[in-house]
Amino acid sequence: MTRVRNSAAYRIAFAYSAAIAIGIALLGTIIYWAMHIAFTRQLDAMITDEAQALVIEYRGGGEAELRDAIAQRERLRQRGAQLYYAVFEPNGDRIFGSLNTAFPKIGMHDIPFTDPVEGPDEARGLAVGLPDHRRLLVAADREWVEQIDRTVLVTFAAGFLAFVGIGIVGALLLGGYLRQRLQAIGGAAEAIIGGEIRRRMPTSARDDEFDQLAGVLNAMLEEIERLLENLRQVTSDVAHDLRTPLTRLRNALEESAHGSVSADVREKVIVDAIARVDEILSLFAAILRISEVESGKIRRLFTPVELSALVTDLAESYAPAVREAGRSLAWSIESGLVVTGDRELIAQAVTNLLENAQRHTPPGTEIQVSLSDLGTWVRIAVADNGPGVPSSDWDLIVRRFVRLENSRTQEGHGLGLNLVSAVAQLHRGHLGFADNAPGLVAIIELPKEQHAAFQLPQSDDHLRVPMPAPQG
Amino acid sequence: MRILLAEDDNEMAEFVERGLHELGHNVVRASSGTDALHLATTEPFDVALVDRMMPEMDGIAVLRRLRAAKIEMPVLLLTALGRIEDRVEGLEAGADDYLVKPFAFSELAARINALARRGPLGTSATRLDCGPLSMDLLRREVRRDGELILLQPREFRLLEELLRNAERAVTRTMLLERVWGFHFDPQTNIVETHISRMRAKLNEGDKPDLIETIRGVGYRMRLCDES
Repeated sequence: MTRVRNSAAYRIAFAYSAAIAIGIALLGTIIYWAMHIAFTRQLDAMITDEAQALVIEYRGGGEAELRDAIAQRERLRQRGAQLYYAVFEPNGDRIFGSLNTAFPKIGMHDIPFTDPVEGPDEARGLAVGLPDHRRLLVAADREWVEQIDRTVLVTFAAGFLAFVGIGIVGALLLGGYLRQRLQAIGGAAEAIIGGEIRRRMPTSARDDEFDQLAGVLNAMLEEIERLLENLRQVTSDVAHDLRTPLTRLRNALEESAHGSVSADVREKVIVDAIARVDEILSLFAAILRISEVESGKIRRLFTPVELSALVTDLAESYAPAVREAGRSLAWSIESGLVVTGDRELIAQAVTNLLENAQRHTPPGTEIQVSLSDLGTWVRIAVADNGPGVPSSDWDLIVRRFVRLENSRTQEGHGLGLNLVSAVAQLHRGHLGFADNAPGLVAIIELPKEQHAAFQLPQSDDHLRVPMPAPQG
Repeated sequence: MRILLAEDDNEMAEFVERGLHELGHNVVRASSGTDALHLATTEPFDVALVDRMMPEMDGIAVLRRLRAAKIEMPVLLLTALGRIEDRVEGLEAGADDYLVKPFAFSELAARINALARRGPLGTSATRLDCGPLSMDLLRREVRRDGELILLQPREFRLLEELLRNAERAVTRTMLLERVWGFHFDPQTNIVETHISRMRAKLNEGDKPDLIETIRGVGYRMRLCDES
């Protein structure tokens, strides 16, 4: 029983049944009383009509006429609404009429009488005064009303009991059903807690609320599993990325500690070791920066950023370094564009694109930076005419720690574009790529105002926005 | 220089203290926020190095109290938190500079020097001179031996930063922060390319180089009194 009492499903089912039972009982009581009152009134009306008719008889034909009328009526007394009559002298003696009762007061009363068959009983009676102070009493046995009352009561009680029975059975069935559906979800959750990560909530083709809930929970589980998988991936990537430099670092240090190396070599080893450690620290800084950006907390620090000035500044600052590296940098920047955002993160994103365009292209490559107005959005594009990236890899290069095969040997930890994508998403924009034929165009599109992000920019057809990775 | 070092991590504090001693500074250590606040309010210091996270009272709280008490000594906030939010919070609380751990000691030393030089009130000079070089901050002009040198705005800012810290090392990150406003480390050394272009303009006609490159650290204006 405690199982049933503790169950919300049963509680709800029983409460519902009880509420309906109370409603029905209330309705029954009202109907019972309404019928009782209506029949009593009907009885009173019948008595009153009869008394009036008899008074008219008396006025027309005197005592003899009345006596005949009553005698006739008592002879022809119908079943059902039985009327009884009595006429009294002013001194209280009954002179005719079969109703065996005492001298009545004027008006409508419930009066006691003695039924010749059933003994003492109660009747509804109306006493009216006749001329010469005689009284006429017309009465009806209440038995008729009482019988109807009883019939209504018995019928109703039987119906009510049947309903309560059905209600209890229904509540048990409904409660059991709800419990079973909930337990199916709970059971799946317990299995997942128990380690069956791939287990999902049961769903059916009915698509009812439980199925919808299960569907939402399954979507949540998919997302959690994806995030876990991602975390595992990132963790192993970090570990992998760290192992190589740490191994080299360790070997170099060991050699300089044990070997009979000269002071010069030892110093070089130490300087190299510091550089390696700095590299590892910068990897961590990059990972931390990405997770900070992805958390979205920086949005509260957003201020208007003069994007035209910023991009011009970046292009001007990078042009000498790009030229020194044997590539060329040109820019075409629409003036006066402002976005709401974080100046430094946008700068870092554009910087990463510039550095990619420079790092992954051969000398002689022309790099073109442009900033254009798309109405409620702006577009920053960094294009090169280098070897480009096949469009099938565009989704891939945005992922964390992904370095395409031909750039494996180069510096960098494969986080650059991931940060760019995270920064674009922080600003409710996106990073996309297009084919520059030849070469690659990396495109950041940002809404000018943060609330404008919900209208999409009119992108060129060839611009493909990769699946944001790895977060969402 | 008398330096207050508020740092609860012993190893870190010793590393900083040893280095500063070697440079000839006088270091007073506090290992909690309350100690640091007490020392800073009762004794004079040229610079305070305050760790962001300390027992009893964190660095930000110490800083806020100091500034509320109108104690304007330059404060460099040291922190293990590299988040943008934390930097903004630190600077808003009244830090003059912000350095994320781990850092190279040369970076810390350069920043301490720059802070001490800037002084509590900052500088409002309109001219900066160093040997043959003179910079007019109002007219935005640079002259060497009286001869006008045309610099781009970015190069002008670079030179200004070096002149303000003349004879002291200015690191690459300091220049990135102050001249470009970047608190991240680009792979491409844009500071280096700008310095080399500016250097070429300053030294035109085989004049002796005024900017010294300190390997692994940054740059320094050579002694201004010489030549």
